Amino acid sequence: MIPWDKLHGAMTHFPIALLSFSTACDFVSVTLNKLSIARDLRIVSFYGLTFAALASLGAVISGIALTKGDLWGRGNFAWHHRFVWPAFALLVALAVWRLVAREAMSRTGLWVYLILMLLASGLVAAAGYFGGELLLSGGGVP
Amino acid sequence: MRRIPLEIKGVLAGATTSILILVATFAASGTYRSHVAQETETGRTPLTAENLAAKGRGLFFQSCAHCHGQDADGGEDAPSLLKLQISGAHMALLIQSGIKDEMPSFGKKYDAQDTAALIAYLKTLH
Repeated sequence: MIPWDKLHGAMTHFPIALLSFSTACDFVSVTLNKLSIARDLRIVSFYGLTFAALASLGAVISGIALTKGDLWGRGNFAWHHRFVWPAFALLVALAVWRLVAREAMSRTGLWVYLILMLLASGLVAAAGYFGGELLLSGGGVP
Repeated sequence: MRRIPLEIKGVLAGATTSILILVATFAASGTYRSHVAQETETGRTPLTAENLAAKGRGLFFQSCAHCHGQDADGGEDAPSLLKLQISGAHMALLIQSGIKDEMPSFGKKYDAQDTAALIAYLKTLH
């Protein structure tokens, strides 16, 4: 039998870490846009975001298997989902946007993208917080 | 004809992919959930007292431990639930209706079976 709880716990850390790291790289690259390192940081953030989106698929699939298909739930479980679904949707959308547009972004487009990256990071962090609360409360998944 | 900028194409592709993946996830999960429910229904056996209390323990940690403490021995604003001297029916009433200005009602959150599970768990704390 597959230990979905352990698998989900392990897999969720990849999108959390990679997305936060990618957002940080993007902001640093915008701040240091006159230096040559800015381009390297944009490449790192691109791959970070792509792998975060791919890893989020694993996290979502293992989560669905763990909850036996319950997409909402109650209490902390519901709070976890209130943040997970918008975070997942935004993360996938941003990754595809970046994959298609690459470097071809206007100044306005870039700022919208950065704000959405911050929002996605916040949503993922909040989802992770309530996921952790579920785990620490000892109640597990209802 | 005016060409659509690449970044707009990216936004459209991102939004479409995101919506499609969410719809697929929700649909697959709904199917999986009904499959699990069907399987559970087929092999359903009444909950034993032990299983009922175990279920109640989960519900307790989800909704009660925050105020009444992880060990149910009371918190800053909520009393201990150890060695309760009230009947199961009274516990059910308190869980379902709450106490004005002191404890929220769980009537909408927990049905009769959940309430019974919580009571079964609370009784194990005697």
